Amino acid sequence: MSEIRTLIVDDSSVMRKIVERSLRQAGLESLVVFEAGSGVEGLDLLKIQHVDLILSDINMPSMDGLEFLRQLRGQNLAPGVPVVMITTESSEEHVKQAIQSGAQGYIRKPFTVDQVRERVLPLLNAA
Amino acid sequence: MLLNGVRRAAIALSGSSGIAVGINGTEKEHTMVCSLRESVHLVSDPKNLDASVEEVFKLMLGVNCQRYTGPVESAEPESVTAVVGFGGLLSGACVFRSGASAAIRIATHMTGMEFTEVDDTVKDGIGEICNMLAGTWKSKVPNLAANCGLSIPAVISGRDYNMHVQAPEFKLHHTFKFDGASFEVTILCDGLQ
Repeated sequence: MSEIRTLIVDDSSVMRKIVERSLRQAGLESLVVFEAGSGVEGLDLLKIQHVDLILSDINMPSMDGLEFLRQLRGQNLAPGVPVVMITTESSEEHVKQAIQSGAQGYIRKPFTVDQVRERVLPLLNAA
Repeated sequence: MLLNGVRRAAIALSGSSGIAVGINGTEKEHTMVCSLRESVHLVSDPKNLDASVEEVFKLMLGVNCQRYTGPVESAEPESVTAVVGFGGLLSGACVFRSGASAAIRIATHMTGMEFTEVDDTVKDGIGEICNMLAGTWKSKVPNLAANCGLSIPAVISGRDYNMHVQAPEFKLHHTFKFDGASFEVTILCDGLQ
């Protein structure tokens, strides 16, 4: 697989590292990672960088992941780029909200490398 | 004071994330009549807490972690406490507490990095562990998963501090061990609708 430019949005630097490591273990070895500590940072970064994949937490201070997703779609930033939410919130309502806001995938924390592989790789192949 | 702030944040989050407001009128009505009172035996089931801790540590740290019911050794002078508040049908908090050495060991397992002290990365890692414990625990009860929000984790570290909570409705307080290190997880419920 060619180089995959990925934006990881999470207020926890530890989780950003874990997500990056999991993506590499899932088979995305040619990964170029951009990190954002908030939804606002993520939007700013997308105005200057092209990415192929976005992974975002939901529970974040100042701008949560769902608002980030709405603004991302509303401002037409990264059109066609798959977004996967990675969060501790796991109810059907939360999944429904994320999908309605424009997410293509949903991974509940804690997660396994297999779950990352199953839910992320098909989106990249389809994009 | 800290706990009250965390709970307020969780209640605010549960509102903003649409937990109390459905997609349409029907769902809103359904949400309004939803109650956890009939599930209280599930909510307070101690097995859910043990299973949540084992799951989070197995998946995120790759270690087997089990509940420990023996005598607790004398505490280290420095400790780390993380709090994630619950808001919505259940109000309360999930509290993680360990000595500095256990916190460092957990952060090392999470990141693959070496730490010599409880720095911001260690505190960040412990906050995330507490966040995942809270999320996994509430996912064990269907009504709780859908109708209870989580706050952003708050983490305290230092020496010689105590946490005081006024009489909760129920409390689960378990000690766990992995690789010779121990930590405590407490679920506090001070309101159930």
